[in-house]
Amino acid sequence: MSITQVLSKALPKHLVIHGDEMTRPFECDGLSMYRQKPLAVVLPENIDQIKQVIQLCKEHLTPIVTRGAGTGLAGGALPLENSVVLGLSKLNKVKSIDPIAQTAVVEPGVRNIAISEAVSQYGLYYAPDPSSQIACTIGGNVAENSGGVHCLKYGLTVHNIVSIKILTIDGEELILSRDDDGLGLLALMNGSEGLLGIITEITVKLLAKPKVSRLIMAGFEQVRDCANAISNIIEAGIIPAGLEMMDKFAIKAAEDFAKAGYPRDVQALLLCELDGDDNIVEQELDAVKKLLSDASTIKVAHSEQERLSLWQGRKSAFPAVGRLSPDYYCMDGTIPRRYLADVLEKINHLSQHYKLRVANVFHAGDGNLHPLILYDANIEGEIEKTEAFGTEILKLCVDVGGSITGEHGVGIEKLNAMCHQFTPAEIEVFHQIKAVFDSEELLNPGKAIPTLHRCAELGAMHVHNGELPHPELERF
Amino acid sequence: MNIEHIQQQVLNANQLQIIGNNSQLRTASTTTLDMSVYSGVIGYHPEELVMTVKAGTRITEIESILAHKGQVLPFSVQDNPNASIGGAYSVGSPELRDAVLGVRIIDGQGQILNFGGQVMKNVAGYDVSRLLVGSEGKYAVICEISFRVLPQAYAKTYQAAKAANSSPKSELKVRIEKGLKDVLDPKGIFV
Repeated sequence: MSITQVLSKALPKHLVIHGDEMTRPFECDGLSMYRQKPLAVVLPENIDQIKQVIQLCKEHLTPIVTRGAGTGLAGGALPLENSVVLGLSKLNKVKSIDPIAQTAVVEPGVRNIAISEAVSQYGLYYAPDPSSQIACTIGGNVAENSGGVHCLKYGLTVHNIVSIKILTIDGEELILSRDDDGLGLLALMNGSEGLLGIITEITVKLLAKPKVSRLIMAGFEQVRDCANAISNIIEAGIIPAGLEMMDKFAIKAAEDFAKAGYPRDVQALLLCELDGDDNIVEQELDAVKKLLSDASTIKVAHSEQERLSLWQGRKSAFPAVGRLSPDYYCMDGTIPRRYLADVLEKINHLSQHYKLRVANVFHAGDGNLHPLILYDANIEGEIEKTEAFGTEILKLCVDVGGSITGEHGVGIEKLNAMCHQFTPAEIEVFHQIKAVFDSEELLNPGKAIPTLHRCAELGAMHVHNGELPHPELERF
Repeated sequence: MNIEHIQQQVLNANQLQIIGNNSQLRTASTTTLDMSVYSGVIGYHPEELVMTVKAGTRITEIESILAHKGQVLPFSVQDNPNASIGGAYSVGSPELRDAVLGVRIIDGQGQILNFGGQVMKNVAGYDVSRLLVGSEGKYAVICEISFRVLPQAYAKTYQAAKAANSSPKSELKVRIEKGLKDVLDPKGIFV
């Protein structure tokens, strides 16, 4: 019997989806340039059914690709041809809320924003807010260690998780908590992209909603002045809740789309949000205004409506850019912020070299860049050109001491770039960590960590102290 | 003392006990690796809220450098003037783990490896730099540590290093930790 037949027999019929048409909605995640239909999709309604799927897939040596809402941007939930997709979207209950301890216990398929909605009655919220928060699931957030616009002040997913329950590929339950003695296994699970275990329950940390939020917008004639202003704010001892920057192209696109009231004649725009208690926020607002002396325009939102309207431009930057081009490719590099102006300059040079337009939006506070490369998939060779441009941007990030991905994950998309960021020995450690949890390579195999063979073939390698990469491999 | 010297000691050793500035553990029969001589700040960028130091650097030294810029560590460590950052890392606490951004380590085979980095957001590869917080010097030599710092105004009260969590580990967790030990120190050098 095939695995599809086995699963259909073992589980209630409506939980197992198969066939060309029926599995099509699951053929890709948010990175739609890669598509692959799985053998079957299973949508379990309880933990016992997950255990059954794990056991049967293990018996049949069938890989499992765990999926939340499928909003990931790196192809982490892309099915494999010989795999079963385990979709956890039906496990969508908030199990309990403890307003005193400020925690909530939730199932993995609960949507990010649904947590904040459920705890809002207690004046609490869940801080990490990836832009897909209305759709993405908390299980996916843990698997990707998702970020958002408020990370500088409130941390990533890893900083906001109290404990999780996971099922191993052997079907054993593992409970991992922040306060555990010994190794940081909970931290290891955050961002492990479904390669080490299947997350079945999450206890999240909740925060008290800030009493006030104030937004200040500043436009700059020079990108470098904007970058310096950001450093000055942080060096002055202020940590804004959000600190977002856009370049000229992104400003224009966002303004055309959202009519947010952005100045069209500036080279860089900064949005700085301060939140907390009234008096502290007012003090910080005054201090920030003084630190923005190089700005050509400054505007403080004086009403909640104005604040939301100014944010709307930034939040619609992606669709706004999407209007200007048939396709766009979103990058996710991070850099030490002091190189921001230099990196932006180099990205613009690359843009001219590749003859592809690029719009830059940054989570500037934490050095996370989202260059959007505009391209047209219908023009032959343009996807390849776009990917080459993207790879150069990521190399640039690594070369200044940053990372190829700040919050989107590696998935299938950044396997080649991993070869640039890590040495063969480091990549080998990653493979061995995977083997500790999943020696038969059944959990999302082939994602997140490139094979050494792939890196060697790529050639564009990490060269340490002038040594030839992969001296252990034969060359022809 | 540079990192290659430490690497050489690891390569030469059959068994090695890593000690910081403050070790009360010392087994007479074991060779020790004294990390207190590997100390000093490698990089400090107050405007980035990031510092990178060698593991033997004293916490008191770090705190005084931070204080000049109105910044503090976002975690608390045992109240001992000699305590080193490497020692605090190996004992571990949830807040210290939160603050870690990256490490340079030497594994049991003498390989110098880098995990994480000097940036706030980084999800490339497994998070080995936070995994090893609390590893008690038994998995690898922690040579250099990058961590996040905070402006004084944002400092909170933190749980003291080492939560008194004495509930026994599950058999599964013990097995996983053993497996990870074999990844980083297959010959069992670090004791």
